[in-house]
Amino acid sequence: MTVPGIPPAVTEETAPFWDAAREGRVVVERCTACGAHGFPPRGICRSCRGREMEWVEVTGPGVVYSYTVNHQRWLPDLEVPYTVALVDLPAHPGVRIAGRLHGEPVIGGEVDFGVEEGPGGFAVPSFRAR
Amino acid sequence: MTEERAEHRAVISGVGQSEIGRQVDRSGLQLTLDAILAAVADAGLTLDDVDGLAMFPGGGVANLPGYANGNLYEVHDALGVTTTWRQGQVEGMSLPFYGAAMAVATGQARHVVVWRTVKEGSAARGAGGRPAYGSTKPAAEGPNAWLLPVGMLSPVVQVAPYAMRYLHDFGATREQLGWIPVTQRAHAALNPDAVYRDPLTIDDYLAARMISTPMCLYDCDVPADGATAIVVSAADTTADLRAPVRIECMAGVVDQRPAWDQWQDFSRVGHATAAAMWARTDLRPADVDVAQLYDGFTIEVVWWLEAMGFCGVGEAAAFVEGGTRIALDGELPLNTWGGQLSGGRLHAAFGHTAEAVRQLRGEAGDRQVAGCEVAAVTNVGVLEAGAALLTRF
Repeated sequence: MTVPGIPPAVTEETAPFWDAAREGRVVVERCTACGAHGFPPRGICRSCRGREMEWVEVTGPGVVYSYTVNHQRWLPDLEVPYTVALVDLPAHPGVRIAGRLHGEPVIGGEVDFGVEEGPGGFAVPSFRAR
Repeated sequence: MTEERAEHRAVISGVGQSEIGRQVDRSGLQLTLDAILAAVADAGLTLDDVDGLAMFPGGGVANLPGYANGNLYEVHDALGVTTTWRQGQVEGMSLPFYGAAMAVATGQARHVVVWRTVKEGSAARGAGGRPAYGSTKPAAEGPNAWLLPVGMLSPVVQVAPYAMRYLHDFGATREQLGWIPVTQRAHAALNPDAVYRDPLTIDDYLAARMISTPMCLYDCDVPADGATAIVVSAADTTADLRAPVRIECMAGVVDQRPAWDQWQDFSRVGHATAAAMWARTDLRPADVDVAQLYDGFTIEVVWWLEAMGFCGVGEAAAFVEGGTRIALDGELPLNTWGGQLSGGRLHAAFGHTAEAVRQLRGEAGDRQVAGCEVAAVTNVGVLEAGAALLTRF
């Protein structure tokens, strides 16, 4: 069963993220000069503008910045309702990632994160309420 | 304020619109030409006076079916004009008339037509409902790569978490938000060109189907077909113009991360833009007679009411509750044409600008606000942002 949806276009900057996701890991950029974390990957540090970035696997927990429960079937075969959350990662300041949230959504609530099957055979970020 | 402002060297001289509806079975090019010809005539000009053309979007952002229509060169050729300035406004639109005002202020053109044509109503019909963002492309590009694959398939899903957080942090309620579409629908009833004109009640609002919590059907603007054109002219041409309107001040600041998933502070949407705008005028919020505030979603009106200083942060829901303050005879008549919520999603503040011009001229028909001398216009909020005051000439 394929997941209905629109897959990401993969670029030089984002390929390592999607490759890692297929292995079940969520990775973000970290600046080798100043240590700042960045997401989405841009190949430049938003803090010091350094160009040497390395990939680090994120560690939890995540904290729900906010969420929405989508009821609209935007695409044929899209199963609704589902919850999407914007999740901040306190261990990685400035990093926020969007993904499906499973379990009871609570603003400020802690979530575990990983990946789940997404459209086009991609693995995409996924959260589970603690 | 004695310092000369660039925007004072420009005026808005004409506005024109095509037929507007949920679906209008004519091509984007024909709608565009109808709007342009109407706007140029409205300005008191002829096409031979026009030497600048600009459209939004210029191309490259065909993410929403029906969102982008036509081609600047095709319209240029159809009109048979010679131009000294052109702009396909992809980003940097800020306000519909922003770039055009800079063009005439710096002498690059004398009379610029800028237009926006949407066919999103027809596209929604073709898709059997409002289609997903990016569904015209096989893969989600740029910022959409982080949104569409996880199910944030429409702008409403992308804005909804910030609306949720607003209600959560400030204790505002959906019923309070409902007074925005309910009041604007009453205004639309007086606008023969509005898409939806039947009365809407708070009960209707609360009973409407949920789209993406907390945003229900009536929190969202209406996909429509239609074109709006605006003529911006050099201020030293006013003797040639039928009824120009002054641009008192304008600004557009993007200070938060311009990505739907990365806003740092939902409570400060538009604040930097509004502050920059107020710094360019001696007028104050109490001087504004009508507010045409961008309303892709109700929550955007909330943010602009607060950013522009019409009320304090966290106070907008109470400000609109009951609808009396934002009614045509209230202290701040809001989106007097019905806004995009009822008038149709003409997008990017083109409909809002056209209405501001009509109100300032006293040409708004049954919905005319008496003694209208100062109109506020705002656009979008985070990814792009623009705010202006237009004043009677």
